[in-house]
Amino acid sequence: MSSDQDHLKETDTEKRFEFKKEEKSAFEAEKGLTEETIRVISEDKDEPEWMLERRLRALEQYKEMPMPDDWPGAPDLSEVDVDEIVPYIRPDIETRGGVDDWNDLPEEIQDTFDKLGIPEAEKNALSGVGAQYESEIVYQNMQERWEEKGVIFCDMDKAVQEHEDILKEYFMTKAVPPSDNKFAALHGAIWSGGSFVYVPEDTTVDMPVQAYFRMNSDGMGQFEHTLIIAEENSEVHYIEGCSAPKYSEFNLHSGGVEVFVKENAHVQYSTVQNWSKNTYNLNTKRAICEADGTMEWVSGSMGSKATMLYPSTVLKGPGATDNHITIAFAGEGQDIDTGAKVYHNAPETKSTIESKSISKDGGRTNYRGLVHIADGAEDSSTSVECDALMFDNESTSDTMPYMEIQESKVDVAHEATVGKIGDEDVFYLQSRGLDDDDAKQMIVAGFIEPITEELPIEYAVELNRLIELEMEGSLG
Amino acid sequence: MSTQVHANLTESQVEQISDDLGEPEWLLETRKEALAALDDLDMPEVIRTPGRTWTNLDALDYESLVDPLEYAQDKDRVDAEGVEVLSWSEALDEHADLVEEHFGSVVDPQRDYLTALSTALFSAGTVVYVPEGVDAEDVKIRTTMNSQSLFNYTLVLAEESSSVTILERQGTGETTDGDQYYSGIVEVVAEENAYVQYGALQNLSEETYNFQVKRGHADTYATVNWIDGNIGSRLTKSSVETRLLGDASESQILGAFFGHEDQHFDIGSRVWHEAEHTVADLVTRGVLDDEARSVYEGVQDVGREAWDTSSYQRENTLMLSDESEADASPKLIINNHDTEASHSATVGQVDEEDMFYMTSRGVNPEAAKNMLVEGFFVPVLEEVQVDELREDLDQLIYERLRE
Repeated sequence: MSSDQDHLKETDTEKRFEFKKEEKSAFEAEKGLTEETIRVISEDKDEPEWMLERRLRALEQYKEMPMPDDWPGAPDLSEVDVDEIVPYIRPDIETRGGVDDWNDLPEEIQDTFDKLGIPEAEKNALSGVGAQYESEIVYQNMQERWEEKGVIFCDMDKAVQEHEDILKEYFMTKAVPPSDNKFAALHGAIWSGGSFVYVPEDTTVDMPVQAYFRMNSDGMGQFEHTLIIAEENSEVHYIEGCSAPKYSEFNLHSGGVEVFVKENAHVQYSTVQNWSKNTYNLNTKRAICEADGTMEWVSGSMGSKATMLYPSTVLKGPGATDNHITIAFAGEGQDIDTGAKVYHNAPETKSTIESKSISKDGGRTNYRGLVHIADGAEDSSTSVECDALMFDNESTSDTMPYMEIQESKVDVAHEATVGKIGDEDVFYLQSRGLDDDDAKQMIVAGFIEPITEELPIEYAVELNRLIELEMEGSLG
Repeated sequence: MSTQVHANLTESQVEQISDDLGEPEWLLETRKEALAALDDLDMPEVIRTPGRTWTNLDALDYESLVDPLEYAQDKDRVDAEGVEVLSWSEALDEHADLVEEHFGSVVDPQRDYLTALSTALFSAGTVVYVPEGVDAEDVKIRTTMNSQSLFNYTLVLAEESSSVTILERQGTGETTDGDQYYSGIVEVVAEENAYVQYGALQNLSEETYNFQVKRGHADTYATVNWIDGNIGSRLTKSSVETRLLGDASESQILGAFFGHEDQHFDIGSRVWHEAEHTVADLVTRGVLDDEARSVYEGVQDVGREAWDTSSYQRENTLMLSDESEADASPKLIINNHDTEASHSATVGQVDEEDMFYMTSRGVNPEAAKNMLVEGFFVPVLEEVQVDELREDLDQLIYERLRE
C-alpha cells in the first residue's frame, strides 16, 4: 500500500490525461467513409490485395447492418456519425511500424508518452510496450530473450507485411467476422494499427506484454486491431491501456480484438480504458478457447461518453475455462453498457464472471451479459456475480443478464446485488478521523479490489487514481 | 408482423359481442378502437439475443384459431360475504360508473396486438368489487373453456382498507378438434391500504395457445400479491406485473411451472417501484422435462423517486431432461441509490448427492427423483397462503410426475 501511495505522489494523473497537443500529421485521410478512403488507407499501408478485398467486403456489410440501438436500454448512439470522423491519421514519423529506440521518437511524441508514464513502465524492465499514437504504433520494444524463443510482438501493419500467412488465416475470419455487428464491420473496413502477439508452443512469457493506445486529435476515429495467438501449452498476459483527451467534437473508438487460446494455453487480456467523455467506445473483443485452455479478461471501463463492450469467449474444447473480471465507472453524462458473453460449446467447460460497477452524478452503468450453454456441453458450470454501487438517485445501475441453457447436466448460477454506499461504513470511517470524501474513496477502493489485484501494480495504481479523480469530479 | 387475424374479424362481430353483454357506448368504442389499432400494433415483446428469438409468437395462426362469435365456457363463481362477484353484464348494470372508471386503467387496451385483440373480443370474464372496509373471504372463479377460442377479462376493484383473496382456475372442458386459443386479461386496482391476493392456476389442454396479462396497481399501504401456476397449454405467454404507486405498497409474485413434452412457457414477473418504502419479492420455481422449454424474464425497476426500496428476486429452474431448455433473464433497473436490491437465478438438475443419499436409504431412483422434484417446489408452495390453491398445485405436480 505504501508503494502505491508513493507512486501517486510522483505522478499527476490528472495532468497526464488532460493535456492535448498541437501537431502536424504526415497523412490524414478525408473525413467520412467511402470506398476511395479505404483504397487510400490500404495503399498508404502498402497492403496486399487480399486485405484490401476484406476491407471492401466489410464496408459493404457495414452499409447493410443496423445500428445496435434497438436493444433494451441501449445507449444513445444518434450522435455517432461516421461521415464526420477522420478514420485514419498517420503521425509524422519517418519509420513505418515503429522505432526500436525510445530516443529516436520525435520529441513531442516522447513528451506525450512521458506524461502517460509509459517510459517509466519501460524503465521498470517490463517485457515490452507497444504505444499507438493516433492510428499507428510508433514505438515498440520486445526483450530479446522472448524474440529468441520465437515470440512475436509487433504492430498489425507490420504483421500484415511480415506474417502474411498467419494473418490471412486468422484476421477477422474466425473470431470477429465483420458480419458480427455494425461496428465490427466498420472496424474491418478501416482498421489501422494495433498489436500482433504470437506465442509459440510450450512458451511462457512470464512478463506482461503491454500496449498503450491514445487518441490525440479532434474528431477522429481509432480502429486498432489486436490479434493474439497463443499456441499449445503457452502462456501470455497482454495489457492495453487507452486514453484520449477531451475535445468539443465526438471521437469514435471501434477496436477489434481477436484471441486464440490453443490447447492448454493460457491468455490473460487486461484493459484499463479511460477515453475522454466525448468518445463513443464501441468495441468487439472475442476469444476462442480450445480444450483445457484458459482465457481471462480483466477490464476496467472508465471514461467515454458511451461504451458498448461485451468481451466474449467461445469455449470450444472440453475443459476450457473462461474468467471475466470487469469494473465499470460511470460519472456525469456517461453510459457504460458493458458485460460478458460466454458460449459453452463443449463438455466440462467452466466460466466465472465477476462484474462490479459504480455510478455517480447521473451516470449509467449496465451489465449486459449472455451465457449460452449448448446442447451437449454437459458438466459445464457458470457463475455470474454482479455488484453495483450507487452514489445518488440521479444515477442508474442496470443488470440485464441473459442465460440460454440447452443442457440439463449443468450448474448455472447468477447473482446480482445493488446498493448504495453504506452510511454505516462511512460513519465508521469518519469516526476514525477520515473526511467524507476519503471515507467514500476508501470504500470504493475496497469494492474494486478484486479487479485491482489482478493487474500489475502500475495499472492498479492508475485505475485507483482514475477512480479517485472520477470521484472528485475533476476528470473529463 | 405477419399473421393478422382480422381477415375474418369485423366491426359488426365486435358490435354483436358488445350487444350480447348489454354494454354501454364507451365500452363498444374502446373495443372498436382496439380492433382498429390491430393494424399498427406489434406482437407482445419477447426476448431476443444474438441469433435467437426466445418465443416465436408470430408462428401462431390466429386466423384459424380465433372464432369471435363462437365462445363457450362454464363459469363457476363462488362469492363471499361482503364482496360482489359479477359477470360483465351484471357489473355493467350495477356498477356502470366504477367499471368505466377503472376498465383499461391498469392494462393499456392497446399495449400490444394480443391485448388489443382481447379487448376487442372479450366475452367472458368477471368483475370483483370489494367495497371500502370489507374483509372478504375467498372468492373462487373456475373457467372451463368449451370453445376453440375464449377471451376472458377480469377486473378487480378493492376499495380503501378492503381485502380479498381470489382463486382462479382455468381448464379445458369438452374437447374441440385442433388447436385452441385462450386469452386472459386481469386488472387489479388496490386502493389505499387494500389487500388483494390473486392466485391463478392454469391447467388448459395441451393444444391451447395461452396469452395472459395480469397487472395490478397498488396505492399507499396497499398490497397486491400474485400466484401464477402454469401446468397446462401448448404455449403460454404470461406476464404478471405490479406497479407500486403508493408509498409503502408491497407486492409478491410467486410463480411455479412444470413443463413436459413440447410445452413452452414464457413467463414474465415484473415490478415497478414508483414510490417510497416499497417492497417487492419475486419468487419463481420451474421444472422442465422432455423437450419443454421455459423463458423467464424478471424485472425489478426502481424509479428515480423510489426512496428506501427493498426488492428481491429468485428464480430457479430444474431440468430433468437433456432435450429441455431453460432461458432466463432476471433484470435489475435501478434509478435510486437508496435501494436494497438483489436477484439470483440458477439452473441445474436434480442433485446427484441427494439422489445418492436417498437411494442409499432404499428409496428407488424413480421415487427418489419424484420426491426431490416435489421438494424443489416447496419454497414456492410454502409461500402460497391459500390452502386450496397450494393443495391443487401440489396435486397437479404430483400427477405430472407420475404420468
